[in-house]
Order: sequence, then C-alpha cells, then structure tokens
Amino acid sequence: MDVTLTVNGRREQVEVGPAETLLGMLRERLRLTGTKEGCNEGECGACTVLVDGLPVDSCIYSAAATSGRSVETVEGLADDDLGRDLQAAFVAAGGVQCGFCTPGFLTTLVAVLRENPEPSEPELREALAGNICRCTGYSQILDAVAATISGRNRR
Amino acid sequence: MELSTADSVDAALDELSRRGERCRVLAGGTDVMIQLARREITPEHLLHVERLGELRAVETEGSTRLGALVTHRDLAVGRLGPGYAAVAESAATVGGLQTQVVGTIGGNVCNASPAADTLPALLVHDAEVTLRSVRGSRTVPLAEFVVGRRVTTRAPDELLTTITLGRPIPRTGDVYLKVGRRSAMEVAIVGLAARLTFDGTGVVTDARIAVASVGPRPLRSVGAETALVGGTGDAESVHAAAKALLQDVDPIDDVRGTADYRRRVIPGLLGRAVRVCAERAEG
Repeated sequence: MDVTLTVNGRREQVEVGPAETLLGMLRERLRLTGTKEGCNEGECGACTVLVDGLPVDSCIYSAAATSGRSVETVEGLADDDLGRDLQAAFVAAGGVQCGFCTPGFLTTLVAVLRENPEPSEPELREALAGNICRCTGYSQILDAVAATISGRNRR
Repeated sequence: MELSTADSVDAALDELSRRGERCRVLAGGTDVMIQLARREITPEHLLHVERLGELRAVETEGSTRLGALVTHRDLAVGRLGPGYAAVAESAATVGGLQTQVVGTIGGNVCNASPAADTLPALLVHDAEVTLRSVRGSRTVPLAEFVVGRRVTTRAPDELLTTITLGRPIPRTGDVYLKVGRRSAMEVAIVGLAARLTFDGTGVVTDARIAVASVGPRPLRSVGAETALVGGTGDAESVHAAAKALLQDVDPIDDVRGTADYRRRVIPGLLGRAVRVCAERAEG
C-alpha cells in the first residue's frame, strides 16, 4: 500500500507493507539511517522519532499509520533551532559517547522542550525514562539539557 | 496480510463482522506491532482504528466515560480529573513517554496482560466496558470481561468502544502502587490499586483493592476489602486484609520475581496504599 506523509518537512510517497514499522520505512525505504534500531520492541528509545510532534518508538509504530502525518527524525533536527542547540550542548557536555542512543534522546528532548521549555529535573528524568543510554550514566545528558535551557534563556 | 484504516466506527464494525477472527484490531500498536514482529499473531487483516476521533473523547459530566482510544498519556496528565489518581498513576507507569503517547486504554484492556498496570486501577473504580458490533451493543463489568491470562470475552466481531467508571465519591482516596526492579520502564512484579472511602470519624465505609501480576489476570480481592471496612486503616485491619488478599492471589515464579517474593511484598504494599488513601481522602 502507498502512504503519503511529510518527513522532515518534505512530502514523501512510500510503498509499505501492512505490518511494516515506521523504523523499517525510514531506514530501508527512505534511507534515513540516523534513526537507530536498538531493542526492536519499544523498550530502549533509540528509534524515537516524532509523529505529529509526539515522540514514538518507531520500531513498534505502524508505517501505514503515518499516512497524512508529519514525521521528524534526527536528520531534520539540523534545520531546527532547538534541535541544533541540543546537539551542540550534547557534544560540549560529553552527552555523546558511543552515540547509538543519541538520535532517540535528541528527538525525545525536542518534543519535551517544545511542550515545556523549562522542565524540572524530576520531570526531565521521567520524560527520558523511555530512552536508555549505556555509556554516559545520564548525568552528562542532563547537563547538556540544562546548558541548552540556560543558553536559550540568555538569548 | 493486508491493512485497512477505518474512517468510522460503523465501518470498523462492518469490517469486523465480515472478517471476525481473521482480523486483528490495531490501535496504537504498542502490543500488536511487537506480537506481529514476534509472529505471536498472524492475522489475515489488520484493522487500523486509531483515527476514530470519536473514541478519543473523555466525558466527566455525570458518569465518567472514556473512549477506548484515550492514551495512557491522556490519563497520566490527569484528563479524568480529581478522584481518579489511581488511573493516572497506573497510566504513568506504562512504559515510557513513547509508549504512553500512542498506547491506548482500550488496547491495554483488550491485551489483558496479567501485569497490565491500568487494570487494577480501573477495577477499583468499578469499570464497565462497552462493546459494539453490528449485532448491537453490550456493557459488562471489567471483572467479567478479562477472564484469564490474555483472555477476554470479546467476540471476534466486537469492538471495545467505551470504558465507564464509577463517579468520584467524597472523602475517598485512591492510589496505584507498583513494585518493579527499577522505577521506570518496568513490567510490574506486583501492581496494587486501592480506593478507600471514610466517614467523618475516619472509619472505612467502602474499600476496593485490586492487584496485578500475581495471577493469570488482574483481580479484586473482596476478602481484603471486607477486612478493611469498619476499621480505620489500623495495623490490625490491614493485617487481616493482607491475609485475605494473599488467599486470593496465585503468583508464579518468572524472570521478574519469584512467587514467594510477590507474596512477601504484598502486605507492605497494601499498608502503604491504605495510608496514601487515608491521606488523600482528607485532602
């Protein structure tokens, strides 16, 4: 079946299978390989992308369900002010080590900070509960978010 | 396999009536997509119902009715309003944000997992589920709908459309508590929901206790409820209630915890739930 959707602001028409995942469609058909496959069962958050602004695990999200919707991946964050700030802050704070979880963290954080530009640390930790990082211990990621928020407030 | 997207409830019911057991309903997909990938299910047809906006409504005037497509996130942020803390708390522990924004309450009910977080919370609020088909509509208590491990009485042509909860009662507190190895992204080792109503002198006049992950399906413990009524949430009545609750559960050993561990944490969990209910009933 054909689905027509917007990916990172670009209109796409893609042929997908009935049980195909959004992750498969992005990586295999659209060659947007920034989105990573981790657990493939909605546990680790590495594959997080935004669908109509909401962070979803693309590995368990139906590709067909994206019909008419807007999908944002880590590739699209280069054109997003908040996405760029977060990426720079991740690099500066050491929030990226092996990097496999990073696209998922960035997309989740973009959604969270768009809704609430200044979450408290407990709110932030709860919002990030679905993103697993095995390298950083999370502290540097939280530092990067704090730096992003204070940097944006100064501007 | 093929997939179709329903654009109205009637169209969905038609499709279900034609295809019956060969059809699987796909809402948020947080369970179904995993089951498909693992080949645990191999339907001929996927009926995508998630676009049915009319099933996303929450009504709080009169009785509290929620559409089957209300998401865990909707509930976690308190769309049901005060009086349903247990429902909000249970929904907030279903996976992470990514699961909550797409996973639906109707899906959680129909998936009928022994560890379903929302089920004990719905049970303590006397939830009833409404199922529609081309043959008509029926409303049954949730306790009679989820009858076993991943088993419901949903007929193959039926669609769960609405969940109705009892109205909030004055001087009542409710809570959902969950035991897991970590506080996030956990399948419950034990989940416990409580709703207690007190009179003006602090005596429990009505009690609802329900548990998950300690048997093939989440269930209420009438024995525990009876033991709490007439007491003040004192140690003695909690002890009696815990004893009754332990008689109603049938936990197993699994990767998350042993049956023995599950039995051991229940009394403490119940005591904590009773204390929280008492605090919330005052507030």
